Amino acid sequence: MSDLDRQIEQLKRCEPLKESEVKALCLKAMEILVEESNVQRVDTPVTICGDIHGQFYDMKELFRVGGDCPKTNYLFLGDFVDRGFYSVETFLLLLALKVRYPDRITLIRGNHESRQITQVYGFYDECLRKYGSVNVWRYCTDIFDYLSLSALIENKIFSVHGGLSPAITTLDEIRTIDRKQEVPHDGGMCDLLWSDPEDIVDGWGLSPRGAGFLFGGSVVTSFNHSNNIDYICRAHQLVMEGYKWMFNNQIVTVWSAPNYCYRCGNVAAILELDENLNKEFRVFEAAPQEARGAPAKKPPPDYFL
Amino acid sequence: MESKGDERELKEAGAEVLPEGRYGVRIHGWEIESSKASILKSLQRQEWEEKLGTCHLPEMIFGNSSLVLKHLNSGLKIHFNAFDALIGWKREALPPVEVPAAAKWKFRSKPSQQVILDYDYTFTTPYCGSETVEMNSEQRRTSEESNCNLCWEDCEEQLDLVALASKEPILFYDEVILYEDELADNGVSLLTVKVRVMPSSWFLLLRFWLRVDGVLMRLRDTRMHCVFGDGIKPIVLRESCWREATFHTLSSRGYPVDSAAYSDPSTISQRLPIIMHKTQKLKILDVQ
Repeated sequence: MSDLDRQIEQLKRCEPLKESEVKALCLKAMEILVEESNVQRVDTPVTICGDIHGQFYDMKELFRVGGDCPKTNYLFLGDFVDRGFYSVETFLLLLALKVRYPDRITLIRGNHESRQITQVYGFYDECLRKYGSVNVWRYCTDIFDYLSLSALIENKIFSVHGGLSPAITTLDEIRTIDRKQEVPHDGGMCDLLWSDPEDIVDGWGLSPRGAGFLFGGSVVTSFNHSNNIDYICRAHQLVMEGYKWMFNNQIVTVWSAPNYCYRCGNVAAILELDENLNKEFRVFEAAPQEARGAPAKKPPPDYFL
Repeated sequence: MESKGDERELKEAGAEVLPEGRYGVRIHGWEIESSKASILKSLQRQEWEEKLGTCHLPEMIFGNSSLVLKHLNSGLKIHFNAFDALIGWKREALPPVEVPAAAKWKFRSKPSQQVILDYDYTFTTPYCGSETVEMNSEQRRTSEESNCNLCWEDCEEQLDLVALASKEPILFYDEVILYEDELADNGVSLLTVKVRVMPSSWFLLLRFWLRVDGVLMRLRDTRMHCVFGDGIKPIVLRESCWREATFHTLSSRGYPVDSAAYSDPSTISQRLPIIMHKTQKLKILDVQ
């Protein structure tokens, strides 16, 4: 068994790698990712997955439902880290699979694959706690800069973490972005990772936060038409039923973190596409408690004031 | 999150747990019960949007979760739920808070037909609980109605922090999330209520916690304390305390300004200046 296969087995048991192993893995991953396009070509059959957010045992449930990689070809739409308890193991397992089977798994970048966001929402603290230093966080966030920004399945389905941008009307405009950087606060690359579809606007909407675009049905219609695609597949927003179509089946949100944050009680979904682009959503629940190793402890009553 | 005291302590306090399938205790004529459920499904969300007259609701609404405290003799029912809290949000309708990136965005080229949304995405609410008197199922009055028989009167008394600090056994404890929003990864908006029931009293804390990363923090706490007595009408004291600070102010006072340092409101609340404080007592009027 090669070192890499051994590491994959170890990660599948939710045991993190040594710091030196992470460093070596990231170097190998970088060589593969740097060759990928900003609009990475993906062939069918493929299974598309949305946000995971460090919910390692639920991702194992996802693989149980969707089949193991490399037998199943996967496309993950980003947000591997933050919020959940096992961002380190989750991301490293996906990355190790990428290095081992580069043509059978595609990872694109979510807005959480960023230095700034991971410092607030969990991944940074988790690395510090599990390794006693921030080196692993540095290796991983350096890799984030190499992740592709979107994928195109059989030239017909455009996949991205967040959504569209008023600065981008063609796929070629995405191809020309220099992506090897921290996610910027504005511009096309930022929008791809951050924006959301919105029912109540038809064209473009600006979030009340003063930053962040919302896009309506007519924006999606014209993007799909100009780029000759059937529909857009994205993630980024929690949907209670695991997936949600909008604007007359022109865009679908896929969410793959069941019982999000271990308390929402939502189901998750993955989207399976066969070689003829026939769709099947597989809806699944959180991994049962006994599959999670140590049982969840109830925190003791607290004398709050 | 939840805990029931042990059998012996319950017995000594004259308390009993609620029957199978319910979660709570009965003690000194009070029935205190929490229920927790999943976030609302899409269909229920739509119903709430229609009822509340909005198309923007928090991402996670625990609409079927609640904390209910019923005083059986007087018919008084104090309860906490997301729906009433969102009515409060809708009424207060604060202007939106701009995130730091907004400054840069003002210089971005505007797409044609751009609509600027302007609802309060922080879901800030003045909600401090709901109360009704339920004599029986037909005769029901709420404090919201004009013929109310319940009102909160300002009072000089303060919460008895000494009594509350004593380590009496906790017979029942729970924390219920009412709603939560991640502000699209720009912070947190969270409304929760926690309760502890001791042999001599019950105490609860309803907390609205908001952090808009790099901009501001807001804490709106409602505490209620009721010492068990043998009167027909219970005495309930309510303290409201609102705190607020911008990251700018915190930085000028030498406090850290990274959002990660502000993940737990209970540890940093003292850093936020009080902007409103009052204590009130619940008055139950006799029904005519």
